[in-house]
Amino acid sequence: MIPGDFQPKRPTPKQLVKLGILGIFSLGAFAGVVIALTFVLTAWLGRPVIFGSTEFREGPNQPIAFPHETHVKKLGMDCTFCHRNVEKEAAASVPATGLCMTCHSTVGDGLEGIEKMRDLYEDGRSIHWVRVHRVPDHVHFVHEAHIRYFSEAEGVETSQVCQKCHGEVAEMEKVRQVENLKMGDCVDCHKKNAAPTDCSTCHY
Amino acid sequence: MALTRRQFLTLMGGSAGAAVLFQACGVPEKELFIDSPVEMPEDLVSGIDNWYATVCQYCDTSEGIVVRVMEGRAKKIEGNVDYPVNIGTHSARCEAGLQALYHPDRISAPLVRTGPRGSGEYSEISWTDAISRLTGTLRDLEDQGNSGHAVLLTNPIGGHLGLVLDNFVSASGCRHLTHEPIETASVRQAIKEVFSQDAYPEFDINNADLVLSFGADFLSTWVSPTRYSRGYGEFRQGHDHRGKLIHIESRFSHTAANADQWVRPNPGTEGILALAIIQEIVSHESPDPSVVEALTGGDPSWLDSYAPDNVAARIGVEADVIKHIAHDFFHASHPISLGGGSAAAHSNGLSAMKAAFSLNHLAGNIGTKGGVILNPVSPLRGVNPVGAGNSFSDFQRLAEDMQAGNVELLMVRGADPYYGIPDVAAFKERLANVPLIVSFSNMMDDTTSVADLILPEHNYLEDWGTDVPLAGVGYQTIGFQQPVVRPFFENRGENLGTKGFADILLTSAQVMEKDLGFSSDTFKDVIRDGARELYQRNGGSVEAPTFEAFWNGILQRGGWWAVESTGPSSASPVRLDGVAEPIISGNGAFNLQPFLSSSLLDGRLAFLPWLQAMPDPISTATWQTWVEINHKVAEERDIKEGDVLQISTTRGIILALAMPNPATPPDAISIPIGQGHRDHGRYASGRGANVLSILDAVHDESTGSLAWAATKADIRKTGDWIRVPKFENTVPDFPRDEHNHIIELTSDLGGNH
Repeated sequence: MIPGDFQPKRPTPKQLVKLGILGIFSLGAFAGVVIALTFVLTAWLGRPVIFGSTEFREGPNQPIAFPHETHVKKLGMDCTFCHRNVEKEAAASVPATGLCMTCHSTVGDGLEGIEKMRDLYEDGRSIHWVRVHRVPDHVHFVHEAHIRYFSEAEGVETSQVCQKCHGEVAEMEKVRQVENLKMGDCVDCHKKNAAPTDCSTCHY
Repeated sequence: MALTRRQFLTLMGGSAGAAVLFQACGVPEKELFIDSPVEMPEDLVSGIDNWYATVCQYCDTSEGIVVRVMEGRAKKIEGNVDYPVNIGTHSARCEAGLQALYHPDRISAPLVRTGPRGSGEYSEISWTDAISRLTGTLRDLEDQGNSGHAVLLTNPIGGHLGLVLDNFVSASGCRHLTHEPIETASVRQAIKEVFSQDAYPEFDINNADLVLSFGADFLSTWVSPTRYSRGYGEFRQGHDHRGKLIHIESRFSHTAANADQWVRPNPGTEGILALAIIQEIVSHESPDPSVVEALTGGDPSWLDSYAPDNVAARIGVEADVIKHIAHDFFHASHPISLGGGSAAAHSNGLSAMKAAFSLNHLAGNIGTKGGVILNPVSPLRGVNPVGAGNSFSDFQRLAEDMQAGNVELLMVRGADPYYGIPDVAAFKERLANVPLIVSFSNMMDDTTSVADLILPEHNYLEDWGTDVPLAGVGYQTIGFQQPVVRPFFENRGENLGTKGFADILLTSAQVMEKDLGFSSDTFKDVIRDGARELYQRNGGSVEAPTFEAFWNGILQRGGWWAVESTGPSSASPVRLDGVAEPIISGNGAFNLQPFLSSSLLDGRLAFLPWLQAMPDPISTATWQTWVEINHKVAEERDIKEGDVLQISTTRGIILALAMPNPATPPDAISIPIGQGHRDHGRYASGRGANVLSILDAVHDESTGSLAWAATKADIRKTGDWIRVPKFENTVPDFPRDEHNHIIELTSDLGGNH
């Protein structure tokens, strides 16, 4: 052995066991932090964080690839034709399959999505749409009040108001979220429009 | 490594915090999806309520109600302000209809018995199978020429359902009996004779200034408590002059408690008291001579034996009191006399009620404001108010027929004869001789629990119907009942679930190839045909250019009425009969006075927990069977509240909790009807006791009606004690200072007092 040569001290078996346990613990702790962060981010975004996904940019895949483009841009249908209770209640209301069937009992034979929808309708089963917009927990958002305010203040049709938050849905192949819909967004807009910013306005 | 206390607590706190963070931060999976509805009615907006008008079926007189429905679920029942009978008021009984709709023990499919009778072992079958079993038996009986061996036993039914039922009965040739445990046959017969009315006339309590009531507990249970209570409010406070209420009953009832004067005659002598009042008026006042002639048959002298001085001792009321009542009644500007309840439940019930109602003729108040207003006939032929039930004698005969094997099929709907017929008729034992018992109830009840085949009908909030009010309002009225929610068991499919009773009858008739004479085969269409007839009359509360608009209009308002279509303005008085001494059965020390529970009525509502928990207006007791006993008598016999007493008559024994009350007469005990069910859902089964079962078979010879207040009973302490569940049971009296009754105010307070 050369003098001065550095020779690490061999760990004793006892130390090895200790190190092993510490390693496992650290891995666990790391996993825990990652999971916790995922949860926190999920709650913050209001939608699940799936690593490596492009869904936030593109919008999620839906069980039926509903083309807003065809219905709105090509056929010129109004948003409220399908989301018919948006002016009346808190939720914008997803249309009932029965409503789709008013046209699609005769229109759209052979199209994959329509056939699937018809089958579901026949069986009396609902469509499990994947939620695109979700405000964080403990927030109440009422569509009816917002639609009423903007259409009165700006003197526009209901369907012109929707795009303020939802963007140009008519242009989207898959519906995606365009505004982050976090508290900052809400408060900014409320301030701009002299709407109340009390906590209890939304958190009730 | 030794763990210190501090380290341990830090670790525990940290892990608890982390657990909470993990739990709170995730998004629940159900929130990541949105299910589209399959069908969505246009008027359904989630979060916003819809109110539908319909008619409640839980009182003797149906009340118009509106039901709050959110997202297809009924949430609240309120009175319909438009409906002429109750004008916005409603009873607690109506309110509890929701619990019947969503009762956890509702029967959700046709059942056929698999175990021995009464074992409660059933298995589900399809509707097709169930109806073919029923119609098969009916057809077999018809082939043998024994159609009359099929008995259909229902509650008294009116409206279009009554029409369908009548047509079914005549087409199938079966026997039809109607059962109501607290029989009103004597009262109904008296009304028919005195006023020539099938249902009740309108008693305009609202505008009266003196109401004389013979046993009619009209604020709590009699005919239409909501209507009369509303009138009573006006009677007391709505006019310049506060009306006077005189109540004659041997029990201290809710109405007695509200009366200015409560007169307590010996049980069964109310009719004699009425005749004494008539005699006093005839001999000392100046009533219309033609009325006196008609009432007495030309010679008023026979009435003299009923002079107050002659009968006071028998009645147990001082002659001066009777004379005062007669004077007050005759000199009031708008007096009304009405009768019913226990006063009619004696062997002299019919003659007593005739005397009580005839007082209105003497007062000359027929067809006048603040008097008795007669009702017109129903605007639709065959669609009538509910009739009186069959009498006890009819059921005794039915029991004998069952014994003789002349009843091979018993179909029961809306009635519970197993519970309601006193044991003395031996109805329960003789049911064993009936080969097939079919029940249409959607809840287990005593009769249904021994049925072989159960075809559950819809709840009234899921079904169609009409109602001509039993307590008519003085003009033509029809209430319309519509489904306010989809049938609760709809998700069980076409073959299971429940069906409307009328639709079951219509389907059965179709299977048997019988023509019931209707243009369509669903009950909804039968009702629409009725509405079309009303539309063609061109008048009334709904005016519309088309029938569809008219139909929507009556459903929206909850009915149709025509204020201008009033009834006859007068009725001719009929000769009165003498009122015989009542027959009282047994020789016990106490008169047993059963009374209708203000919440459970005759027991048909005992399965609803809201009503079980509703305090009795006099004793505030709930959830139990109690026995009201005079507090002095209780003291003498060392009976305290809650002591379990054994009440025995010649016909049986029941147990009830003692409830000493200073207002109970010393020679009487009162027991509420309504508890003591064999099987009536989880909230009523085996709770309390059924006082009806120990009544003796005394009845009114002229109508056959059961004299349910004419049995004597004895009491005995069993030694057990149970706390009576009642309002504010555990709150003690405020401490009182026995020696200082006067509060002294010091002069420092000063001021000008």
